[in-house]
Amino acid sequence: MDVADAVRTQGLLKRFGQQVAVGGVDLVVPHGSFAGLVGPNGAGKTTTLSMVTGLLRPDGGGVWIDGADVWRDPVAVKARIGVLPEGLRLFERLSGRELLSYNGQLRGIPKDEVQRRAEELLRVMDLTESADKLVVDYSTGMRKKIGLAAALLHNPRVLFLDEPFEGVDPVSANTLVEVLRRYTASGSTVVFSSHVMELVERLCDWVSVMSRGRIVAQGPLDEVRGGRSLNEAFLGLVGAHAGHEGGGEGLSWLGATSA
Amino acid sequence: MAGRDLGVSGGGFPGSAADPGTGAGPGADPGGAGAGPGRGAAGTHPGTGAVAVGPAVFARLKLRLIAGNLRGDTTRMLGFVFTLLAALVVAGLGFSAMAMLRSAPPQVAADAVTLLFTAILVGWVVVPLLAFGLDDTLDPSRLALFPLSTGRLAAGMFTAAVTGVWPAATLFVTFGAIAGLAAGAGGVLLGTAAVLLQFVLCIVTSRLVTTSLSGVLRTRRGRDVLAVSVIFFILAAQLPNLLLNHGFSGDPQAMLREIAAVLRWTPPGLAAHAVADGGLAALAEVVLLAALAAGLGFLWIAALRRAMVTADASTEGASVRNSRGLLARFLPDGPLAAVATKELRYARRDPRGRVGWFAALAITGVMAFSLNGGEGGTPGPVLAIGPACLGGLMIGLQSCNSFGIDGRSLWMNSMVYGTARDWRTDLAGRHLAVAVIAAPALAVLAVVAAFLAGNPVWAVPATLTAWGVLGVGLGAGALSSVLMPYTVPERLNAFTGAAPGQGGIAFAGSFGTMIGTAVLALPVALPVLLGLTWVCALALPYGVLIAAVGRRIAGNLAFARYPELLASISQPA
Repeated sequence: MDVADAVRTQGLLKRFGQQVAVGGVDLVVPHGSFAGLVGPNGAGKTTTLSMVTGLLRPDGGGVWIDGADVWRDPVAVKARIGVLPEGLRLFERLSGRELLSYNGQLRGIPKDEVQRRAEELLRVMDLTESADKLVVDYSTGMRKKIGLAAALLHNPRVLFLDEPFEGVDPVSANTLVEVLRRYTASGSTVVFSSHVMELVERLCDWVSVMSRGRIVAQGPLDEVRGGRSLNEAFLGLVGAHAGHEGGGEGLSWLGATSA
Repeated sequence: MAGRDLGVSGGGFPGSAADPGTGAGPGADPGGAGAGPGRGAAGTHPGTGAVAVGPAVFARLKLRLIAGNLRGDTTRMLGFVFTLLAALVVAGLGFSAMAMLRSAPPQVAADAVTLLFTAILVGWVVVPLLAFGLDDTLDPSRLALFPLSTGRLAAGMFTAAVTGVWPAATLFVTFGAIAGLAAGAGGVLLGTAAVLLQFVLCIVTSRLVTTSLSGVLRTRRGRDVLAVSVIFFILAAQLPNLLLNHGFSGDPQAMLREIAAVLRWTPPGLAAHAVADGGLAALAEVVLLAALAAGLGFLWIAALRRAMVTADASTEGASVRNSRGLLARFLPDGPLAAVATKELRYARRDPRGRVGWFAALAITGVMAFSLNGGEGGTPGPVLAIGPACLGGLMIGLQSCNSFGIDGRSLWMNSMVYGTARDWRTDLAGRHLAVAVIAAPALAVLAVVAAFLAGNPVWAVPATLTAWGVLGVGLGAGALSSVLMPYTVPERLNAFTGAAPGQGGIAFAGSFGTMIGTAVLALPVALPVLLGLTWVCALALPYGVLIAAVGRRIAGNLAFARYPELLASISQPA
């Protein structure tokens, strides 16, 4: 396997009953890139990320992170990756501070070091005031931030984020972006899924487009969008066209002054 | 919206014959509670913007919610069939029990009906509260955005409330009282009115209570408190057992008479008396009940009006003490300390943790003392050792689904663990946390049981054996946690401890752990119980050994199949 790639999958496959959720995905993310995994709802982004991070067993294919096989060499892989999964699944009855220290201790980081990093992360994420509140009482933005802090605590080389900006207010989103920018500037890799094209266009230098369980385009941002905006390129790739027939017909009553 | 008259049709409820053009409601009555029953079409009041939605729309909504809940899911379908059968059985048995009261002496029959009516009313108040969330039509805030007057909303929600399997069963059972009690034509006539009013009271009281509390129920703290109150339900279920075990000496008929005398002037008592009486007194009682139902209905509408505009305060949370935890001070830094500390925090902060522990300890106590209460048993160390061992078994059962309460958040651990040894350490942390609470609790139980049995010295073998049984239970529980994991729903209710469709696994898991623990504990527990008391010295090492073996096998299994483990404890509940 090419060690130059931070993430590489080959023929990744997952079925749920009759339905093929991911049908042979060959995802490639080079080292040090800020990569976006985009696709409409139900394209298989979350399923792919779950399999790549070792949370869901694939029905076929392989996953390598930094050249290490996720399913054969879990120790090497798990030390290298950080994850913010979809659905904000966190230990709800711990406070933000306790969550970070739990995470650090699980990974065997010395207690003093955990504490130092946790305080710093809490400060950067603007969570110091809420650090002793239970996570169950956090807002969506706060949850994403504490989740990202937990994912960064052990200084992973590759970070996987599933919809990190969904439901996040602009202030928190800005904090997240700043932290991630600083992180990739040091040569680490970020892979995040999203369907907000403007955000992907602004942040990413590498894009993989998924549709119906497959990668339909992949490469450096400029190559994928080919002179258009990413949104236009995306709509073309997934087979939806602006001004699609049907968009203009029907709904004639909508907006009328009386009904 | 000014100047715009949105024709809100029954579009959300397909099937209603709504036509904004023709269905303009007759006679705008914005404040009135009396939306005529049977008027199904939706329409718009010209000018007011309020919509006239007949109660039939709500009945259809309820039926559609029931049907939608079943679509495409076999386990839910089976669950519904089971509910249906259960309701049929309850309705049939309830009705015949009431009807059979005719052959009993009239006073006994009247007293029994009073008691049953009260039980039904209490059931209607308590059960929806504990199971809040099962029914979308229970939550007024979901309907707050529809342009409905409060009166119409109340009428609609009342209709939705009486639509369903259990209301029908309740009504049927309540009508049994007429078959069992009513005398003559007057009795049947006034009895029917009384029975209907008793039914209406059940529904309206139930709705009044859930609506008044709906603000509280939407906050995290309110739900926590309610979840813990489930415990009283579990304990109440133990009460008859306890009474029977203590050989309740009183004459059941006298007891019935006393209870019924207390309940005579409560609404269910009035209704029961009205059915039995059938005369002028009954007429007065029916009028009184009707006034009461109207009053409660009025209160309910007021509560609805308030509930719809009350803010959701669920994000206001208090801070927790930032302490390192007692255990962390003694343990070396690392995953073991992290997991054990987290588990202890969960036992305290998560309502499911609190309920689990409280239930285990309380049921153990109840069982221990009901064993002691039996007379004629051979006095001896068994009376101290038996209850203590039972306690060890019950607490061991607590960990037959160790990962269940973590649920979806367990990904955080599985993201870290790269070897079977890591999973073993995780289980060890969980066992340690259980032992920290259980060891002293079992010792206290053993001492109390020994005192009751007559010889404080028996506390020593009792404690040691109980600890051994606990160790065995933890070992067996580790295996079932990995082999038969299931989702523990966030929202507890008193009737199920597992996500839909996993009840069977949950039952198999806890039953298997119980049998496994009992069998594996026999080599040490049996000799001690039979009188070879010195064997208790071996109990603790034996328990520790079994727990370690259990962790070893479970750790390997967990490492091999953690994605599947994760999936089974993350089911939507």
